[in-house]
Amino acid sequence: MDDDISSIICEAEANVAAVSSRAELDEVKARFFGGSGSFTAFRKKISDLPKEEKPAFGKKVNELKSGLEAVFAKAVRLSEEAEFQKRLGPEVDPSLPSPDISRGCEHPLTQVRNRIVDIFHRIGFSVVEGTDIETEHYCFDALNTPADHPARNSQDTYYLQQNSQVANVTKKRDEERYLLRPHTSSSQIRTMLKNEPPIRIISPGRCFRRDTADATHSANFHQIEGLYVDRNVTVRDLKAVLDYFVRELLGSDAKTRFRPHFFPYTEPSFEVDFPSGHLGKVGSDWIEIMGCGMVDPSVFESVGYDPEEYSGFAFGMGVERVAMNLYGIDDIRYFYQNDERFLRQFS
Amino acid sequence: MKISYQWLCDYAKIDRPMAEIEEALTLIGFEVEEIESVGVPQLDHVVVGEVLSKDQHPDADRLSVCSVDVGDGEPVGIVCGAQNFKVGDRVPVALPGAVLPGDFKITKSKLRGVPSAGMMCSAKELNLGDDHSGLFILENRPEVGTSVNEIFPEPDTVFDVEVTPNRPDCLSVLGIARELSAWFKVELQYPEVKHAVSDGSDTDHLLESIEVLEPEACPRYTAWSIHGVKIAESPEWLKQKLRSAGLRPINNVVDCTNFVLLETGQPLHAFDSAKIRGNRLQIRGARANETITTLDQKERQLLEGDLVIADAERPLVIAGVMGSLDAEVDSSSSEIVLEVAAFESRGIRATSRRLGLSTDSSYRFERGVDPQGIEFAAARCIDLILETAGGTVGGRPQSEGRPLDLVSEIEVLPEQIIKRIGFDVSDNDIAEAWERLELEVRRPDSPSKPWTVSIPSFRQDLRGVADLTEEFLRMYGTDRIPEASVGCDTVSALPESPIDLANRAFRSHLVANGFNEAFNYTLISGDETETWQGKAGREVLAMENPLAQDQSHLRPSLLSGLLDVIRFNRGRARKEFRFFECGRVFREEKGKIVEKISVAFAVCPSAEKNSWLERPSVDFYAVRRLLEDLVELSGMQWVPFMIRPTEGLPGWAEKRSAILNHPRGWQVEWGALSRNILEAHEIDDPVFAGELIIDPKCFNSATKKKVSFQAPSSFPRSVKDISVVVPKGELAEGVRSKIAKFASKGTKGFDVESVEIFDVYEGKGVTEGQKSISLSLQYASKDRTLTEKEVGKAFDDLQQRVAADPSLSMR
Repeated sequence: MDDDISSIICEAEANVAAVSSRAELDEVKARFFGGSGSFTAFRKKISDLPKEEKPAFGKKVNELKSGLEAVFAKAVRLSEEAEFQKRLGPEVDPSLPSPDISRGCEHPLTQVRNRIVDIFHRIGFSVVEGTDIETEHYCFDALNTPADHPARNSQDTYYLQQNSQVANVTKKRDEERYLLRPHTSSSQIRTMLKNEPPIRIISPGRCFRRDTADATHSANFHQIEGLYVDRNVTVRDLKAVLDYFVRELLGSDAKTRFRPHFFPYTEPSFEVDFPSGHLGKVGSDWIEIMGCGMVDPSVFESVGYDPEEYSGFAFGMGVERVAMNLYGIDDIRYFYQNDERFLRQFS
Repeated sequence: MKISYQWLCDYAKIDRPMAEIEEALTLIGFEVEEIESVGVPQLDHVVVGEVLSKDQHPDADRLSVCSVDVGDGEPVGIVCGAQNFKVGDRVPVALPGAVLPGDFKITKSKLRGVPSAGMMCSAKELNLGDDHSGLFILENRPEVGTSVNEIFPEPDTVFDVEVTPNRPDCLSVLGIARELSAWFKVELQYPEVKHAVSDGSDTDHLLESIEVLEPEACPRYTAWSIHGVKIAESPEWLKQKLRSAGLRPINNVVDCTNFVLLETGQPLHAFDSAKIRGNRLQIRGARANETITTLDQKERQLLEGDLVIADAERPLVIAGVMGSLDAEVDSSSSEIVLEVAAFESRGIRATSRRLGLSTDSSYRFERGVDPQGIEFAAARCIDLILETAGGTVGGRPQSEGRPLDLVSEIEVLPEQIIKRIGFDVSDNDIAEAWERLELEVRRPDSPSKPWTVSIPSFRQDLRGVADLTEEFLRMYGTDRIPEASVGCDTVSALPESPIDLANRAFRSHLVANGFNEAFNYTLISGDETETWQGKAGREVLAMENPLAQDQSHLRPSLLSGLLDVIRFNRGRARKEFRFFECGRVFREEKGKIVEKISVAFAVCPSAEKNSWLERPSVDFYAVRRLLEDLVELSGMQWVPFMIRPTEGLPGWAEKRSAILNHPRGWQVEWGALSRNILEAHEIDDPVFAGELIIDPKCFNSATKKKVSFQAPSSFPRSVKDISVVVPKGELAEGVRSKIAKFASKGTKGFDVESVEIFDVYEGKGVTEGQKSISLSLQYASKDRTLTEKEVGKAFDDLQQRVAADPSLSMR
């Protein structure tokens, strides 16, 4: 009888080994346990046995049943395991590269812009965006630029057609012309006209000059303008803020030099330099990083602020220029060529 | 402006190292752009030699073999390539061991087999100008063997300084000397004028009359008569000074006018009186069709707005800009009319710019010349002319207009200065700084009364307290402004720019998806503009004064630029490229320009397999996903039912692209770009791209999505699938929303949670020209498990509605 049991189990094992899918396995199982299956046939033998042997045979039936079930359960496990392995895909060679495209990178001008903006963010400046299209009034008149100043010339500044209408850039005077702004300082004016002090803004944006492109000139470029207006703002505050900025950008030992300069809309005006040593260069040259100054009283008058009550400072810098200094880039045109081999160096 | 150190020292004895002077100039606002050393530097082993013999080189036609006495007993043999000398000439000789400017080391050598023990030098080789045409023959025959440093003056240093437009007074050696003497606290000595302007007889004038017809353009005109000059070359000292400033010496009279222009900043003009027809000068506007041949030998057409100095017949000078050949002082001149005048800057600037003719004179008049400098400059120039060319002065000048009185005063309290600079300084420090700059400070006894500061006529730029603050800081030293920590009394009340926030979100999302950021130019060609916005766009978006044809229009789309980037990079590598840009675009709308925010991206898959494992490349739907994300990041809401296939847009491939135009003011376009536009950019692989364009006003009205929590249902959902057949051209979203609407009508007391398309099928079993769309519906309730019966009922209802709809049929 024990031989019967082991032969049935052997038969089951052989059958299970031959199946290739879960469905076939279920079929085999049904065949063993079904009406004409080996297990049923074995169990039926009980009816031919004398009464006293029945309990012992019953145990044998159970033994066979659990033996078969173990065979099938194991087979199910193995099948599931195989199925899962299949879904895991083939074995890997971990040294093969991933074929998927890697993370891209932000343009170096974006990175430098954000780095600068973030520094000013930390000391309470918020970002204001101007428009690329501006008018003569906001770019020149309101910034104390004389009517025949060369910057207004159509050789230097891009103008829109005389009769152009721009739906979302307001004019001060009907007859003034639209232009592509040559600097971001116009956003100072629009911000002051719309808001009362205190004002603490930083305004990055694209600017335009009618220049033929060469290593240091580009038809468009980017500036970041800053403005702080409040009661009792002093030259010392200006220096404190810009010293902080330069140290954050170049390192805590960075030094600055404030060189008196001239801008029509600030007085006193300065250009700020830092020593080239901060870029890891040899030599004792100073490198210009930005222009700045105390807001000229005439600018306050043009936006309706009382120059006796308020004072403030403004500063501006070229993003390309800062980026070229930081990374040692010697030609501004690289920024607009968008050679992937150039861009990826900044990822 | 080029400033010679030796010239500066004529007025202020600044005995400091050059580096210190350079730093001082920079710190007081005159950035030094270049420092140049002129003259013979300290040279060892360079001595005077005399050529004893000169023979033809046996093997070289252009070389000669010379024997040269260098005062050393034995003459030396030198092979020389120059032609301009003869036996007996004395020349500078560099002997072995000498190092000439430019680190040129002299050694014993052989030239074509003949030994040469040194080199005879040209002027250029000794740093004496650019003459390299031959040897520098020492005409005054200094003693043989003398070191060249003993026969040439000490080298001079020339600073090339940037003078800002507000400081025309420093477009002169005296002006810079004044600044440096103030900084170094050294006395400034003005040149002494020997001939009083009243010398000579007042009636001894060369001209019959002068007449100013345009007194506004020419507020003052003086003409000085000088008789009997002898035109010759200028003395060496004068030529040297002009050369140091980059000017070419001409003759003694002209050189004197140029010298005084450089010294004082006042332009002057000398006429040959014999060439003035009708013996009179008229300062008038040019007449129509008048021309003039200026000293640079160019004939120039004048316009009526131009101011000229004319004689009885013709214009002789473009006022303040340049004289003509017609009245030039030349070797035959002996009677000179010297013009010293004031011209209004605006007119000079306009004329100079229009003619493209900027001169030392026009540059100074444009920026402003000291209105009180006329007499001094005239007297100084007459002095120099009499000294170098002889002659006599014809007394006081003929003049028109009055001496201009432009001395102004500013009232100021020292506290005002301290309030502006933000740190304490003494009253004396403030007063002293101004006085050093020749401002006169009157301090009343009472400390509450303001000081009166008199501004000299050459400082027209000083108009108020802000200007005086700068003058104080310049003299006090900006390096002495104390350091401070950043004050934070106030914080900006302005909100963060939503545009900036959106752009940052766009960038980080696209970068994470493998895109590299590009920056392209805002101006593109008219043809490109037309591709995106048609003829109307081309007309409206054109610039008034483009510089180049391919940069003549405002870009209505960022995609043109991205295609250029793809083309550029494809030329260098055969692989997939992904680029994006964030920037401003300009759209034509109803004839107006609207400036908008844009983000665009483009993918150009590689044409060939270039990875060991292939991946499916980007397609239309991948682009749509990215755009949906960008729309959401911008705070707008994607509205699928507004999507339309593109029609008649030349940039996009038909039936492979779509557009969503939202009435709030934003739009997206995406899909495959058209063959035409790709060909125009020389790209032969397909490019999938997308662009989101947002009117900035959208950000003003965008309300931040308010989030309020809702507990997710804990009851199971019932799922039912349905397939419907519709014409092939039907948009799936229309079908889906119709099914969703029908489904929700059939439910009572529970919801249709979602209706999603899970299959679209054309082919066997579906009529030609039709497609089957299979949708999966999820029914759910928040508070109970739905019974099969009620879901069945709702689904039956849906099927009936579908069957009843003529545009749908069940599959």
